Amino acid sequence: MKKFFNTIKNGTFKGLKTGLMLLKIMLPIYLLVVLLKYSPIMPWLQEICQPVMKLFNLPGDAAVPIITGLFTDEYGCVAAMGGFEFSTAAITTIAMVNLMAHSIPVETAIAHKIGFSSGKLAVYRVAAAVLVGIFIGWLGGVFL
Amino acid sequence: MSESWNHILNEMLTGSLSTVLNLLKVLIPLMIIIEFLVQYNILEKISKRLEFMGKPMGMSRDAIFPLLVGTIMGVTYGAGTLMELNERKPLSKKDFALIGVFMYLCHGIIETGFLFGINGANVFVVVGVRLLIAFVVTCIAARLPYFRKMEHEKV
Repeated sequence: MKKFFNTIKNGTFKGLKTGLMLLKIMLPIYLLVVLLKYSPIMPWLQEICQPVMKLFNLPGDAAVPIITGLFTDEYGCVAAMGGFEFSTAAITTIAMVNLMAHSIPVETAIAHKIGFSSGKLAVYRVAAAVLVGIFIGWLGGVFL
Repeated sequence: MSESWNHILNEMLTGSLSTVLNLLKVLIPLMIIIEFLVQYNILEKISKRLEFMGKPMGMSRDAIFPLLVGTIMGVTYGAGTLMELNERKPLSKKDFALIGVFMYLCHGIIETGFLFGINGANVFVVVGVRLLIAFVVTCIAARLPYFRKMEHEKV
């Protein structure tokens, strides 16, 4: 029984510690995204991203969390997503695109260490993200 | 700026607070679950029952455990287990490559399920459909000559 409670205690402690570490990245991203959203750059960005985002059945805003996620991680994507209002279908599509391709710089570096080819891997993940995004966007448009 | 600063600052404050709360709602249960999985060797037991999954995905039985760890708990844990296992009993290059194909499409399903679930995504799609996509892609990859020729190579 002691092991059981120790497990819960250690888990909670690790959760808080990891949370603190992640917030140092998430909060600045969130704040920057809110500023970006109200800045004059946003309408321009929306217009550029609209055609690509349309592939995924997403509004132009969705480019912000997707691009943030490519360079940071899932937590960065969620932080950026927090700045906007999206529908369930849109959030699901953004989640899936981001899950297929995120933290490209960091994860390809790790992959290189274990012996996977970094270049091929990055191409594989971005291609998967685009295909999955089109599929889930269509799925979301139909079912969600 | 198209909105008043008052409005923007207000949004930043409430948004930051909900970011913090949502993050803790994800991380505390996640870390407790992972701690249980590790302390009670749960994945090792499950992976024995899932060894038959290796066949359609073109992997050896030994590849299933590190794959399961990575898929359930995340890439960091998966890579750690993979390296450790490989030192005791080397896996083929094909196993390595196919684990990579699967795991880079689908890893840390508890973490991402909670994270995107709490933030409003459909959990069934984020977990179920993602597992299915990774499984199908790996099955196809296992049959491509590019991966088949790695069968007898060591890493």
